[in-house]
Amino acid sequence: MRLIDDILRAAAHVADEAEIFCARTESIAAELKQDRIAIGSKLKGSGIIIRIIKDGKIGVSCTDNPGTWKTCLDAACASARFADPVPWKGLPFPEMIDQKPLAFDSRISPDPVLVTDLIRRLKAGSETYDAYITSGSASVAISEHTLANSNGLCYSTKGTQVHISLEMIAGQSTGYESDTSWNLDSIDPEKIGEESAFFAAKGQGGEEIETGRYDVVLSPLAVSQLLDAAVIPALSGRNVHTGRSVFAGRIGETVAGENISLIDDPMDSRGVANCAWDGEGMPVRTIPFIEHGVLQSFAYDLRTAYRYDQKPTASAVRTGQSGAPAIGNHNLILKGPESDILDEKAVFVHDLIGAHTANPMSGDFSVELSSPFFASEGALQEPIRTGMISGNIFDILHKIQGVSKETRTLGSTIVPSVRLSDITIIGRG
Amino acid sequence: MSVPYRYYDVRRVSGEVTQIDVDNGRVEQAGSSFFDKAVIRVLGDKGWGVLSVSGEDAEFEQIPDSFLNEAYNASMVTTIHIPIQKTPTTLHPVPAMKENPADVSLDEKVSILLDMYKATEGPDIVSRRINYIEKDETVFFSDCFGHSYTYHLCRCGFSVLAVASRGGIVQMGYERDHTISGLNIRHRQDLAQDAADRARKLLDAKPAKGGIMRAVLDPELAGVFAHEAVGHASEGDLIKEGSSILKGKINERIGSPLLTIVDDPSQPEFGFCPVDDEGSETKRTEIIRNGILKAYLHSKETLASVGNGDAGHCRGMPGVEPIVRMSNTFIENGDSSYDEIISECKSGILLKGSRGGQVDPGRGMFQFNAEYGFLIENGELTTMVRDVSLSGEILQTLHTISLIGNDLALHPGYCGKGGQTVPVTDGSPHLMLENAVVGGCEID
Repeated sequence: MRLIDDILRAAAHVADEAEIFCARTESIAAELKQDRIAIGSKLKGSGIIIRIIKDGKIGVSCTDNPGTWKTCLDAACASARFADPVPWKGLPFPEMIDQKPLAFDSRISPDPVLVTDLIRRLKAGSETYDAYITSGSASVAISEHTLANSNGLCYSTKGTQVHISLEMIAGQSTGYESDTSWNLDSIDPEKIGEESAFFAAKGQGGEEIETGRYDVVLSPLAVSQLLDAAVIPALSGRNVHTGRSVFAGRIGETVAGENISLIDDPMDSRGVANCAWDGEGMPVRTIPFIEHGVLQSFAYDLRTAYRYDQKPTASAVRTGQSGAPAIGNHNLILKGPESDILDEKAVFVHDLIGAHTANPMSGDFSVELSSPFFASEGALQEPIRTGMISGNIFDILHKIQGVSKETRTLGSTIVPSVRLSDITIIGRG
Repeated sequence: MSVPYRYYDVRRVSGEVTQIDVDNGRVEQAGSSFFDKAVIRVLGDKGWGVLSVSGEDAEFEQIPDSFLNEAYNASMVTTIHIPIQKTPTTLHPVPAMKENPADVSLDEKVSILLDMYKATEGPDIVSRRINYIEKDETVFFSDCFGHSYTYHLCRCGFSVLAVASRGGIVQMGYERDHTISGLNIRHRQDLAQDAADRARKLLDAKPAKGGIMRAVLDPELAGVFAHEAVGHASEGDLIKEGSSILKGKINERIGSPLLTIVDDPSQPEFGFCPVDDEGSETKRTEIIRNGILKAYLHSKETLASVGNGDAGHCRGMPGVEPIVRMSNTFIENGDSSYDEIISECKSGILLKGSRGGQVDPGRGMFQFNAEYGFLIENGELTTMVRDVSLSGEILQTLHTISLIGNDLALHPGYCGKGGQTVPVTDGSPHLMLENAVVGGCEID
């Protein structure tokens, strides 16, 4: 690409190393308001992010107008002036990586027929139970990105994404479900429609629960929310080395039940945006954060690894607002002993209201239940009206009795439902 | 114009974001990025067609016909005719800043933040981080009726995080301040020190005990309560969709006669909107007056279909279609003093600071979390507690407000809805709730 060459050439005069990330995306969406499509939308976006390193100082800037790259490069250089230097050991060199897209479905294009068909199927599924649609959406996106640096690395790939969601209500009972995938075959709009309708329709008429300690089954959604709130931040090398992680200094210690593992497997086929390299062009690899309950490793991008003299783990992602690389994970997989976790009586929790309000340092949380049910004999039985669940997210890692065989991919996590023992629920009964 | 539109508008937002990140004494980031985004909405014979573009595509003075066509074509998938209401329109002046952040060099900002950083030092403090953000944007709006506005607004602010650790316990203290009135980082060492002191004190705080009790909320948390428990449920789009328990309740008593809740985007606070993002005049809307539901928050679309309330509450992120949002939401002053409230409470809990909240407006359930609290025993504050949260049913809880203070204070923050984050303020005086459901790991 001419643009990338131009920027790298200009950067060579002012910096030791430079890195350019160019992305382009096009998407269309249809939004349901009640049972009709009220909004059709189309988005075309592009952006470049320039990062330079000079004397170990890192500067970054981004713009959504590639035509203004000179201003952006100047800003990246200006920003490096103020940064504290890192014992920098260099951006990666190119490796023999297969650049074949891993999350690209050639049938997906910004075609209105695709989204109207997804909506039709969502609605068809929603008719299984007696509830009303309040809102919903279907979108498809196609994107491409190129990552290049002054060491001659230049990787390009393209990807696709389908997203559907549906919100329903029956009386005062709400049901929400959504799904995201890179390919049309693994998205199931009828099932998403049916499940939203199920939680709305069957959530009505619940009794209050008594305050006490219960066996609880958390849905993949609830598990993912709790991991996001405290466990994932605690695995970030930056938080570990800056005193913001309860896991700091505990490598080799038991931090979860002996059957529990937490692994980042960037190439797992269930991932929604797999790519052979990370946000800085490092070839991705499997990272065993927790294996059989024992803490094994933390996540590092280049900056943090160099700063604290650790090995990079190819954990850089570009999901933040600025698009600058930061520590994240690719496909964080929770593994545990598989069993039929709904056989014995338990409180099933489909969703949580306010999971983001958990204490990210200590892991303490106390949040309202969404779509809770008493479950037994392998199925959800009676709905529960309201209730608050309290506990500590890090303790929960020790309380997992079993996990479901089925998993769900939610953002960058791949998680089963989990059965927990001895969990506090505060009721209004 | 070739497309058969009933309405169109265009909003272009361009500008610069400056961020500084001081992490454990090191400047990890200090620099600027640039954005230019436009969103074009066309209302055809049925529903909305929306086109979002950025960068070079957004660099236009006059909206190109081709974009109107693309937006109109996007509307072809819609299956319902959407009426909209014509609304009054005017641009409130943006108040002058005391000190324009643009006039202060990055160099100087970094050195002010490093001074602030020093104030977070202390025993047991193991981690300290200060983040500064400044978003300088120029907004251009025009619609098919010939209304056209351009204004410039700079929002800036900072957050201080201090982490304390002792004997395996890790706790954090967090302080922040955001504003539209200019650079706000000078002489703020006190706030930074508060964050560190709080983190340290929380090491000795007791875990909260869950149960049903009297709760006093401080102005910051009570503001979040107003926002989560009432504000969202009064948003016209949720009313129209049927996903709010406040639907059909206009002129009904839904809360204590002491309670008046307002959303006012015209107030020059952090949620200020000189005009809303679809060109409607912004003004004060009283959602609840003396316990009676009086108005919903509206866009042109939801006002036309729902009625009862004011347009002027429609906001969007740059490049994204606007939806009904709050801006500056607050509970009006009552006549109790803080001391009276604590003493009247007798036995209960005082909840302070906010770690955010969430609401399911269809079900009418809300939750929010305090940063810390104090037990109230015999009308006096006693033990400090940590990780206290509160949840409740909107319609029931509003009736349980038994005292409202006379010390209204506003707190800036951000609110997320539909994948969009917008700046807001929430505020309230101290207030007391009867029979509040307080969460905590310990139970009887």
